[in-house]
Amino acid sequence: MQPLPPRWLDKLATRICAPHLREELLGDLHERYALRHRRTGTRKANFFFLREVAALLRPSIMRRKPSPYGSPSAFSRDMLRNYFKIGSRVLVKNRGYSLIHLTGLSIGLWACMMVATVVIDSLSYDRQWGRKDDIYRIVTRSKMGADIVERSSSSPEALGPELQKNYAEVESWSPLDATTLHFKIHPGDSDGVETHLLTADTAISQILDIKLLAGSFQPSTQNGWKLAVSKSYAAKIFPGQDPIGKIIHNIPTFDSQPVAYEVTALIDDIPYNSHLRADAIRIRSRKIEPLLSSGYMTYGRSYIKLKRGTDVHAFARKVNAWYAGFMKNSGREQFEFQPLQDIYLHSDFAEGQNIKANARTIYIFAGVALLLLFIACVNFVNLSTAKAFARIKETGVRKILSGSRLQLIVQLLTETLLLFGLSTCIAFFAYYFTLAPVENFLGHKLVITFISGVGMAAAALATIFITSLITGVYPAWMVSGFKPANTLRGIMTSALGRNGLRKTLVVAQFSISIVVLLATIVVWQQVRLMKDKELGYKKNDLLSIEQISWEGKGNAFKTEIQRIPGVVSSSIAFWLPTEGGGYMRRNIKDPADATRQIAIWYIAGDIDLPQTLGLKLMKGRMFSDRYADALNGDSLQKISFELFEKAQMNQNALITTTAARMLGIRELDKHVENASSVPVGIVGDFHNESLYEPIKPTIILARKSPDYGGMLIRIRPGTERQVVASVEKLGKQFLPHKSLRISNVGDQIFKQYEAESKLHQLFLFFSGLTMFLSALGIFGLVVQAAEQRAKEVGIRKVLGASVAGIVGLISKDFVKLVMIAIVVASPLAWYGLQKWLESYPYRTAIHWWVFAVTGVAALVVTIGTVSFQAIRTATADPVRSLRNE
Amino acid sequence: MRRSDLGEFEEIVLLAVAALAPGAYSVSIAEELESETGQTVSTGAVHAALQRLEQKGYLNSHLGEATQERGGRRKRLFAVTAYGGKILHEARSVRNSLWNRITPAELSKMGLDFSNS
Repeated sequence: MQPLPPRWLDKLATRICAPHLREELLGDLHERYALRHRRTGTRKANFFFLREVAALLRPSIMRRKPSPYGSPSAFSRDMLRNYFKIGSRVLVKNRGYSLIHLTGLSIGLWACMMVATVVIDSLSYDRQWGRKDDIYRIVTRSKMGADIVERSSSSPEALGPELQKNYAEVESWSPLDATTLHFKIHPGDSDGVETHLLTADTAISQILDIKLLAGSFQPSTQNGWKLAVSKSYAAKIFPGQDPIGKIIHNIPTFDSQPVAYEVTALIDDIPYNSHLRADAIRIRSRKIEPLLSSGYMTYGRSYIKLKRGTDVHAFARKVNAWYAGFMKNSGREQFEFQPLQDIYLHSDFAEGQNIKANARTIYIFAGVALLLLFIACVNFVNLSTAKAFARIKETGVRKILSGSRLQLIVQLLTETLLLFGLSTCIAFFAYYFTLAPVENFLGHKLVITFISGVGMAAAALATIFITSLITGVYPAWMVSGFKPANTLRGIMTSALGRNGLRKTLVVAQFSISIVVLLATIVVWQQVRLMKDKELGYKKNDLLSIEQISWEGKGNAFKTEIQRIPGVVSSSIAFWLPTEGGGYMRRNIKDPADATRQIAIWYIAGDIDLPQTLGLKLMKGRMFSDRYADALNGDSLQKISFELFEKAQMNQNALITTTAARMLGIRELDKHVENASSVPVGIVGDFHNESLYEPIKPTIILARKSPDYGGMLIRIRPGTERQVVASVEKLGKQFLPHKSLRISNVGDQIFKQYEAESKLHQLFLFFSGLTMFLSALGIFGLVVQAAEQRAKEVGIRKVLGASVAGIVGLISKDFVKLVMIAIVVASPLAWYGLQKWLESYPYRTAIHWWVFAVTGVAALVVTIGTVSFQAIRTATADPVRSLRNE
Repeated sequence: MRRSDLGEFEEIVLLAVAALAPGAYSVSIAEELESETGQTVSTGAVHAALQRLEQKGYLNSHLGEATQERGGRRKRLFAVTAYGGKILHEARSVRNSLWNRITPAELSKMGLDFSNS
């Protein structure tokens, strides 16, 4: 028996060796192998053979002999022209395929560009400031218990100056807060101009590089505020005039008289992509409060600028160590320094900061869009490889006519590039026209887009180009690799039969669609849960008026309101639903565990408040006129603050069930020390705030005719329009220089869940798209399969197969793939959604039927798509498919 | 004469072809060199050298018969051309003249004096 070297090494040697040298060289190798085998045995011979094969790696052996029939270079001018000519002809000839490709790619590219814009825009926030790396917002972390930490964007105002005094790293500090006011530009105006204001002190110009165009920053005085207005705002309120020195008045809310604002400076616009986006800055005088260890201090948003290159973590550690020592509170309150660039995306905790985005939503957004593009590219690869069947004859002929493989690859890549180019054009057009609707949907402008600058557009095009190359290379490599001798003889090479890759891609594609569809359903359930959940009070048919000062006319106004037809009851309150947990919060010791603190929230209004809200009484009684429930807070405060405090301590109160449980209250009508009140009734729990927050233990107090406050009006269903109109008229009558901001509580509650509801809309949109693209891909494949099996179907029909049988035959493969996709996708989606839901205290359960519905939907889409073509194939006349030879 | 045309390994291969004539082909040459030098010589290296030598015109070749050991492949047999012979001769005469110029005293100093042994 002739000894043979290992097959794989032999194959490798064949690969390495140029064809014209194979005869002699491989012969030599085998002969030497046989010699050595005889001499030294199999193992050593194999080892030597390996060395021999390695020794073949030299240019003189590897270099292939050039063909004696020269073919033009793959990149010569003639060839380039030829690629485009053939490419465009192929695309026009296969119109159906080209259309499927174009649709899929255009949608994929468009969605990706859109989302990339949103992501890039979100990441661009606050990156334009000159010293962006050195500016920080002071964030307070309060320890509420062993492992409960609350973060807040406000910090003691006295901290800034103290830090500057103690630490050389601190360059500057300034309070910086955002408010929205309404200004009357001319005294006679009936309505105000909504104005977003920053409040800062004179140090602001040292922290942020705000360009002063005219005038100067002046601190406000006792007589009124000084205002620095931005260029575009000035152009809006004083078109064509010099704004410097002009005086405008705000529409008062808590004051009785409007306050004058003098414009003293004109500044360049504050960048739109900054969380400090504002129309104007009002400059307050720099006041330096002493830092007190008693803890009674003003809190506000403060920013601090450190010296270049300061290690902020080390700085924070130093500050916290010093502060804990200063306050002697063992570090209950600590500070963090939040980098300016992080504020926009990472401010979930920051109440009152309106310009922020959720980093998680941005990531979800980006992920889904990438998946969409992936599906589109998968479609492309799938269809192209399936289509290879139709092109192997062409490949064969071209190869025989001395076309090189490189030429073929470039030819196929050209077709890919043509398709991508067309899709890119379509996508760019769609992008251009959908920017505005998307901005609407997001609720803010997009500053950096792919059409705003050449650089961005070039980056987008380059990315698309690379994507198209990556997508096109595999099909091109595969199609160009067939051996002409086999394809022309009609022997299918194994690559065509091996469509494992295609099947895997279909499964991946459908898995993605199913995950997105599942997410859509679950997000919708969560939105519905938050919208419909019983809040403990009746949120429908409830109007609210934003807090203002009633100038002593509160009671009269309320009496008039009660007369409006449609009004059931009304109440002047210190707190309105969605306005935080209450008007006051007290941290008290947990009676059950002395090391922990619990936060108790207080809300107050006149005695009609519980009834107007529609709270449920569990035990005891509601507030009533017959008892001295209501405290005349305003007049007591006028006499002396201490008297007020004392009266407040012994006030009758309603408490919620949770508060009663947490405070361990069993008996009513008894003064409770740590609640600082006398509970007279227990009401059912209600959600003071959004459902992002757990139930808050709350104490409700009653006040007689409070002068500052909002108003809640309970109306009869269907009377909202008339009541709002009447209330507005009353408002003009009672408080002519003010404007009442009336809103529907139900709407406002729903507005809190805007993020979820947007996420839901987004998923709805994307799930539609991914399903559509997946269906499109599978449609292309089934058309292909039907073409390839036309003869088989014909023969089956001649032999008596039924139409249903043939439809089943063709559909079976695809249905199987989608089934696998369902099995793959469900656990993935379940896990991901479970993670997403974990952040909600009130979350929907993921029911089994969600998976069932999704699975059935995916199957229905598949069967619908597949059977459309399958039925056509099955009902075709077998004569036509069989006769053509 | 352009000595740089002939590398050391090439020269040895060329000599081996001459020595093994008429049955000189890659395997026999490699085996011969292996037994002469005691070092492993790979077929690929020999083949590359033969290719170069043939290109330079020192060798010519023809295809020989096939054997079973070679998997039915034919071998390429090499023979030294007249030009190749001339080159070999020149290389040898250069060496010889150099050897001859070394004085016996110098030879014995180097420990290369074999005349007495």
